[in-house]
Amino acid sequence: MYFKDIDDVEKRLESANYISSKEIAIIVFLATATEKPILIEGPAGVGKTELAKAIAASLNHELIRLQCYEGLDEAKALYEWEYAKQLLYTQMVKEKVQDVIKGAKTLSEAVEKIADQEDAFFTDRFILPRPLLQAISSKNPVVLLIDEVDKSDPEFEAFLLELLSDFQVTIPEIGTRKAETIPLVFLTSNNYRDMSDALKRRCLHLYIDYPERDAEMRIVRLKIPGIDETLLRRLIDTINNIRKLDLKKKPCISETLDWAKSLIALQAKDLTRDVVLNTLNVILKYRTDVDLAISNIDKVIAS
Amino acid sequence: MVNLTLKFAACLRAIDMKVSTAEVLDCVNHLKLIDVIDEDLFKTVLKTNFAKSRRDHRTFDHAYDLFFHQMNSNIRLEDIKANENLVAANEIDILQKECVDQLAANLEMDQINQALINFLSGEPLTYMKMLRELQTKIEVARVINSNLGQLTERLQIMLKINAIRNLIPQFSGGNFDMPGSNKQKRLNQRLEERLDNAYQLLVKEPVPENESLNVVTRNQKRSQKLGDIPFANLSQTQIEEMRETIRQLVRKLNDIVTLRFASRNKGILDIKKTLRKSAKYHGLPLELKFRNKPLRKGKIVALCDVSSSVWSAARFMLNMLYSLQDCFSKVKSYIFVAQVADVTDFFDRYDTNDAVEKILNEADIEYNVLTDYGATLLDFKTNYMNVLDKKTTLIIIGDGRSNYLNPREHILQDMREKVRRIIWLTPEPEKFWRTGDSQIMTYKTYCHELRVCRNLNQLNEFIEELVI
Ligand SMILES: Nc1ncnc2c1ncn2[C@@H]1O[C@H](COP(=O)(O)OP(=O)(O)OP(=O)(O)O)[C@@H](O)[C@H]1O
Ligand SMILES: [Mg+2]
Repeated sequence: MYFKDIDDVEKRLESANYISSKEIAIIVFLATATEKPILIEGPAGVGKTELAKAIAASLNHELIRLQCYEGLDEAKALYEWEYAKQLLYTQMVKEKVQDVIKGAKTLSEAVEKIADQEDAFFTDRFILPRPLLQAISSKNPVVLLIDEVDKSDPEFEAFLLELLSDFQVTIPEIGTRKAETIPLVFLTSNNYRDMSDALKRRCLHLYIDYPERDAEMRIVRLKIPGIDETLLRRLIDTINNIRKLDLKKKPCISETLDWAKSLIALQAKDLTRDVVLNTLNVILKYRTDVDLAISNIDKVIAS
Repeated sequence: MVNLTLKFAACLRAIDMKVSTAEVLDCVNHLKLIDVIDEDLFKTVLKTNFAKSRRDHRTFDHAYDLFFHQMNSNIRLEDIKANENLVAANEIDILQKECVDQLAANLEMDQINQALINFLSGEPLTYMKMLRELQTKIEVARVINSNLGQLTERLQIMLKINAIRNLIPQFSGGNFDMPGSNKQKRLNQRLEERLDNAYQLLVKEPVPENESLNVVTRNQKRSQKLGDIPFANLSQTQIEEMRETIRQLVRKLNDIVTLRFASRNKGILDIKKTLRKSAKYHGLPLELKFRNKPLRKGKIVALCDVSSSVWSAARFMLNMLYSLQDCFSKVKSYIFVAQVADVTDFFDRYDTNDAVEKILNEADIEYNVLTDYGATLLDFKTNYMNVLDKKTTLIIIGDGRSNYLNPREHILQDMREKVRRIIWLTPEPEKFWRTGDSQIMTYKTYCHELRVCRNLNQLNEFIEELVI
């Protein structure tokens, strides 16, 4: 039992410094109660990764994170044999080889004898566990975050699918590992490509949008305690106006936080035209976006 | 609760959402965990189980509203919780049943009328299925160059809706024999609203949400002589110059890619090479050798409009793609006006520049017809669908000007399901997208990326993002 009820989710997330919406709390509650993975979608920087972290923190579980990218394969995601170590060991135990093949009459007999010892080099000692194997092998329950799964290749997605349905993996030389505790799985996606139906079927879906005005104000208050309320209100309204422009990249929550921090550092008491003009580059990353905001400056500044 | 969930799932399937039995079961289990009287909660549970991507949200909301509010306006969440017997029979419901039965008795019960009658009694499924079939059936029937077939079928349904609308007042009084009574008015209103809904469904399909679409209409300024001249305005000598500039750009890109290949893509250990090297050090494997992994940029399928305004951009794009062939596992190209021709072969046989010139004269395609994107998509679907796979990036280059012919955008959805990404390049600036016969606004719902590509700077930026 992870959470008592939906309110419990909301409260415990808040104590882990995460402001959740009702919807987030509901879906997290259902997913944890029925041990299903959550597929989180949403624009960049709305707190997808942060949610998984906050859940881990609020449950006091370890967070294991797998960052996906094009070309990610099982060797980087699951496990790898530590070849260098294996080679080193073969060198160190060279003499032992003499003992092993003692009494062998033919070459093939000697090879047989060595082959009998082969297993010694394919044990846990020589395995380098990557995030997925770590998550499965852990004695304590963990939160597994598979970040930006939309960047991975279809083969990897297929492999992930197997893992998510059985929570076990087979290492040919060693055998099958079954998870001791089912990890809580979060997958995030920015919708670079569509995920397969099979994967979606196994997950609950959560869409996180830019936060409501009040929620965003609460987030800023949480991270920057003591911020002036009037400044905060105008800041949030202005940033929401800017989000409505046709930008290449919309400012997200971390940009709101950065902006608030820079205004405080500049000791700006109010959001004047000049202050905004001078700090636009804190929230907008592209030159063309800054230009667009400047040409709409009087429309975006909230009164 | 199970029954209701199943019925709703059936409705979602009728509008082409993929809902599996496993998901219905999950959903029912989840409903047991919450208090279904809270509608926000109830809806969230259905949504998280049945709409598994943001793209589906709009369609889902539409169906939810139809099913739970417009059709079953008498469902109360309390009843869902209490028992399966949702529809507490009250007078209005009895009146409604009598009225609808009488309507049925007085109509010729063909497929359309049957579906409408079911719809009126609060069972939208057959009607929704019929609309869906209409869409696909027409596609298969292949009414060349027109969407007349579809229009006539839709018109028929419209006429039948109106016929029923005119009949309602006759029968809604029931045996109360109180025309004009309050109850009759309420019943009339309910049935009218349902017919309105049916009509809305017919003329307006919900379009998938596509917020994550990457639209690129502006680009960073780069100082290049030819960079900002629209392709369409280039003179013959400038075209020659352009080729040289592209050669340089391509060389630069190739270098970047090779460099990245060398430094970043350390593959797995190459035992053979490592052991061979170890001979130098008395058998100690001091130098580890890795197997280089080939770059994993998937397949490119390019589909190019050859009408002159578009072709001036397409030719340079093809030029760059083929010059960078080694970065992809495969490049295939097709051109179209109202049919599709595979021109990959030209690039295999000739030098890139010659190939581009030859395509325009020698490709197996009818040039003297109206550009028809819908027919093109259909042709592609019939003949070339198998070249698409999950590793494919499909690049469509065209202005989407389709002479007011049926755009058949659903085919693009089918294609989207087969590929990794769809990128649409248009030579037209954004301000023309909503004008005249442009279907860009229709097609963009089904793309992952939509870019304006009308000069070298824009093309260069695009190709760079593609290969790096
Ligand atoms: N609900 C929230 N409560 C508190 N802080 C939040 C919340 N949402 C976002 N943040 C803040 O916003 C920052 C960005 O969030 P995060 O990195 O999780 O975004 P993301 O959705 O994972 O973005 P990307 O798509 O770029 O990976 C976090 O560092 C966090 O401080
Ligand atoms: Mg993230």
